[in-house]
Amino acid sequence: MSMDEEKLFAARLHAVRSRPYLATALFALHVVESRSVPTMAVDRHWRCYVSPSFVDRTPVEELAGVWVHEASHLLRDHHARCDRFAVAHELTGPGERLRMNIAADFEINDDVFGDGLAKPEGAVVPEMLHLSEGKLMEEYLRQFRLGPYTDGFTWLDCGSGADGMDREWDMGPSGAHGLTAQEQDAVRFRVAQSITGAPGNVSRGWQRWAEEAFQPPQPWRDLLGAAVRSAISTSGAGEDYTYGRPSRRSASLPGVVLPSLRRRPPRVCVIVDTSGSVSDAELGSAIVEIAAITRTVGGRRDLISAFSCDTAAHLTRPLCRAADIPFIGGGGTDLRTGFAAAVRTRPDVVVALTDGQTPWPLSKPLCRTVVGLFPRHHEPDDYVPSSPPDWARVVTIG
Amino acid sequence: MPISAPPPQPPAHATPLDVATDLLALLAESATEPRTDIQLEALTLAVSADLPVLLWGEPGIGKTAALTQLADALDLPLTTVIASVHEPSDFSGLPVIGEDPAVQGVPMAPPDWAVRLVRAGKGLLFLDELSTAPPAVQAALLRVVLERRIGALTLPPGVRIVAAANPRASAADGWELSPPLANRFVHLQWSYDHDVVVRGLGGTWPRAVLPRLMPEKLTDAVMFARRAVCGLLVARPALVHQLPKNEVRRGGAWPSPRSWEMTLRLIAFAVASGTSRDVLSMVVRGTVGDGPGLELLASMDRMDLPDPEVLLADPAVAVLPERGDLRQAVLDGVVEAVRARPEQSRWDAAWSLLVRAWETGPPDLVVVPASTLAALRREDWEVPATIEQLVDVVSLSQRVGAGR
Repeated sequence: MSMDEEKLFAARLHAVRSRPYLATALFALHVVESRSVPTMAVDRHWRCYVSPSFVDRTPVEELAGVWVHEASHLLRDHHARCDRFAVAHELTGPGERLRMNIAADFEINDDVFGDGLAKPEGAVVPEMLHLSEGKLMEEYLRQFRLGPYTDGFTWLDCGSGADGMDREWDMGPSGAHGLTAQEQDAVRFRVAQSITGAPGNVSRGWQRWAEEAFQPPQPWRDLLGAAVRSAISTSGAGEDYTYGRPSRRSASLPGVVLPSLRRRPPRVCVIVDTSGSVSDAELGSAIVEIAAITRTVGGRRDLISAFSCDTAAHLTRPLCRAADIPFIGGGGTDLRTGFAAAVRTRPDVVVALTDGQTPWPLSKPLCRTVVGLFPRHHEPDDYVPSSPPDWARVVTIG
Repeated sequence: MPISAPPPQPPAHATPLDVATDLLALLAESATEPRTDIQLEALTLAVSADLPVLLWGEPGIGKTAALTQLADALDLPLTTVIASVHEPSDFSGLPVIGEDPAVQGVPMAPPDWAVRLVRAGKGLLFLDELSTAPPAVQAALLRVVLERRIGALTLPPGVRIVAAANPRASAADGWELSPPLANRFVHLQWSYDHDVVVRGLGGTWPRAVLPRLMPEKLTDAVMFARRAVCGLLVARPALVHQLPKNEVRRGGAWPSPRSWEMTLRLIAFAVASGTSRDVLSMVVRGTVGDGPGLELLASMDRMDLPDPEVLLADPAVAVLPERGDLRQAVLDGVVEAVRARPEQSRWDAAWSLLVRAWETGPPDLVVVPASTLAALRREDWEVPATIEQLVDVVSLSQRVGAGR
């Protein structure tokens, strides 16, 4: 019995028609007929192994769903993510890889089907283990173990492209028609481009993937830290060289003019938006962060001050402990009063923590400005505030 | 692994420290083996193209060891300068006041390592710990990296510059790289490969091989590189210059006319030496950034595809790419070419190409181009006989329709 290729390719055509933005990925898959594969499986070189009997017994619409499912494993780089997870948590053995396969399937299946694409029979979804939808594979992996609940999933096998464990049917890197890492990136890039080019008809899961495919999300702590650090350390404050007084090396090198290293501790002023819309937990963690950074770059406690600000700036006093700042306020915000009060303390850096629902000062203050922005989701007909001005370095928090 | 030679017997008069020295010498013995190591190849490619390279990697993963090996392979003396412990004047030169500064001026005296480098005429200058250097030192380094000048000295052309930096997350009190300095480097992410480390600790490290440039390919390589970069920038003018706006990208690679020129040089070197696309991808993305780099590579992939006009001119001998997505791109291109200049002969040629594609590969690729091409038909054009062979394609399409 040979494979009903026509049916398989008709299914691919159906998949391409219902998910046009995945066309490049679907067409890039190279079909290999294999009798050892239970259903359909992919390897890390973008080959797709297909069982002829599976093609025979599965309707075209469901086959189309399987096509998209398998391509999703590769697009979302599941095998490499599994390998990284396995190394980080020292997981070994086929049992763990099966768990990864299940978690990867959860990540795909919770949003890939519907809207013209049939869900294949037996597709596993997070609800089966009473888990919530919309998580990443790594998050699912922390939430369940193999047990009686998962016994029904043991037949699952999406191949080494899904969970990173080599199978006996894999043709390996030297086999024909494999894609190199660069070619794989190029395919991913084309798909991401066609998603961001026409986002209207694309599910939220795929949009998020396209946004993050080549720009992984960064932890805001690092970014806020980097922004504050570079604002503090650029000339004018911090540790730098000066010809203002002689270097200690000068004594041994007569006739040579050397600069000396001089520290001028930075004066940092934090403006905190205390309008009703910012939660205490968000604020607390951000302020502790800023205080810690300022300390590591040599700031002294008496040089950090904090204002809480709603429609009026409330308070100026040295920041002794982050927990000590009394946040008075609530209601609307006008950060302009906060900036005006902050500038009067002649700081080197102003850090404003806000949700952005405020008017901004019209002119650039005479110090570096970092804005930590708590993102807010806006309803379509909501009032959308103006974004922070160009002269501030903006870090989105949360 | 059996040790063939018996361990050297220490002489009877040896002090304990001599024995320790012998043991250390034994430990230091290591062999090298050829091994495909993409990041090492990328490093050698950029170094041979005489572009400053910046290695980003966590502390302790062997950046310095790789550099030592590279220097060995290139037969260049290695000069390591830890940027963070130097003062700006060590790079810009120390002002030395002479007899009469008003008449003679104040010369900027270079440090000894620079003098030695210039005297040797060649060498590998390794600027370590770049990201933890204070801003004033980074500013002074700008001149070293860009103009190759240290004080009054100019580094000879035989000197290559490589720098290393720790990523922001792991540099406890690091300064981030200023965009002008970042733009002058090819940024390479240095990570360790588990197998390489285990094998290396066992005594065998991969060997860095300098890309061998083929003299007969030089002219073509330059033309190809110019065509690749200019082709993309004509279509995407916005990519020419993009200062990094977002926090994530600061201190990394970003596109500017300068970094595009570096990219052009890297492509020419890669083509002339026959380096793999994976290596090229790594250096190009490290020069202009991930997004623009990927766009360039994607458009280079398209450059390799056969020209639709050539295919239409002689469909009988046409060779279509094996890979499905590329084949689809070619067929779409052919149909677009017919749409741009509709003539009966071209329309017929396109049909024979589609038949060829259908005969030699997956049939689903042909469906969309076939229906688009059919729609292009003018009333007075006769339907070619070859179209009969595509009936199956129509049935494939109907099969999907029925399934819906």
